[in-house]
Amino acid sequence: MANIAIQRIKREFKEVVKSEEVAKCNIRVEPKNDNFTELRGEIQGPPETPYEGGMYILDIKIPETYPFNPPKVQFVTKIWHPNISSVTGAICLDILKDQWAAAMTLRTVLLSLQALLAAAEPDDPQDAVVAKQYKENLEMFNTTARHWANVYAGATKREVECDSKIQQLKNMGFEEHKARVALSTYNWNVERAMEHILT
Amino acid sequence: MATAADSQDGEEATPSPNSSENGTFECNICLDTARDAVVSMCGHLFCWPCLHQWLETRPTRQVCPVCKAGISKEKVVPLYGRGSTNQQDPRDKVPPRPAGQRSEPENNTNFPGFGFGGDGGLHFSFGIGAFPFTFFASTLNLNDGRPQPPSAGTPQYAEEQFLSKVFLWVAVLFIFWLLIA
Repeated sequence: MANIAIQRIKREFKEVVKSEEVAKCNIRVEPKNDNFTELRGEIQGPPETPYEGGMYILDIKIPETYPFNPPKVQFVTKIWHPNISSVTGAICLDILKDQWAAAMTLRTVLLSLQALLAAAEPDDPQDAVVAKQYKENLEMFNTTARHWANVYAGATKREVECDSKIQQLKNMGFEEHKARVALSTYNWNVERAMEHILT
Repeated sequence: MATAADSQDGEEATPSPNSSENGTFECNICLDTARDAVVSMCGHLFCWPCLHQWLETRPTRQVCPVCKAGISKEKVVPLYGRGSTNQQDPRDKVPPRPAGQRSEPENNTNFPGFGFGGDGGLHFSFGIGAFPFTFFASTLNLNDGRPQPPSAGTPQYAEEQFLSKVFLWVAVLFIFWLLIA
């Protein structure tokens, strides 16, 4: 059965390589091993979102039963998004679960993920902390997401205030990523973030 | 041999004319040229083995893999190309492709008196109304191939006479009810 999976992935692979999205550098796929069961995907942060200019790396695992079951996709690049875990990179997207259809391809999956970055679903969250911030303080959410895009995904827009607060905690001897998570969680309130790290 | 596909997009190196021609007839699941082709009611083409496996994978949610319209085994139509009957399918675990649904052409021969306008839209049935009469008919039957009725005087004879009367009255009441109602 694995035969059909590999054959299909190879075909899809050619399709993605030829597609116009690749030509525009929006998405990219490359195999990690010879039999195409593990792939590395890349999507660009969509314009007019906090992720603009960032490049997000994805880990794609093709199950034996592909295309009758969806590929397993995770973000490798850290991202601040209601439907993506800021810890593990796990994605909450219906087409990767029960809404999968056998005619979907790597290309449509990557484009759907790009669409997810542009249109979050805070009512069906993967990361409850991020979703809460998104719903209660959208401005703060956008700032945090831009900061994460800048630091982890190579987006060019810097959030100077965020950087200085993290530097402040780093100077106190805290680890950088831990400080960033705490500050992001507590709406960039330095005292509450410190309290959180220390408890 | 230059095809329309070649001329409209010059930049991509010539996809062979064969593959672009076959593109329309690729299975939506394995992306190969469809074998034992079936088409769903929503018009999407699949290999029967591929579609069968898709339907087996999700028995509770039977939807078209392309457009998510509801589909089922009974509602796909096989496509029979010319002269391709002896192609053996290696995946013989798969049940045979469902047969096409072929119905005889309808011929509208109505009763001359009852076909209003000849469209056959109106039919009469005499089932209920004739019930008591058919009943009489069967009671009045002379013993054609039935067991001999019990001879007069036996308790069975009396019983049957009684039953017969009961049914007669039921029939009379029924006719009466029909007239009143």
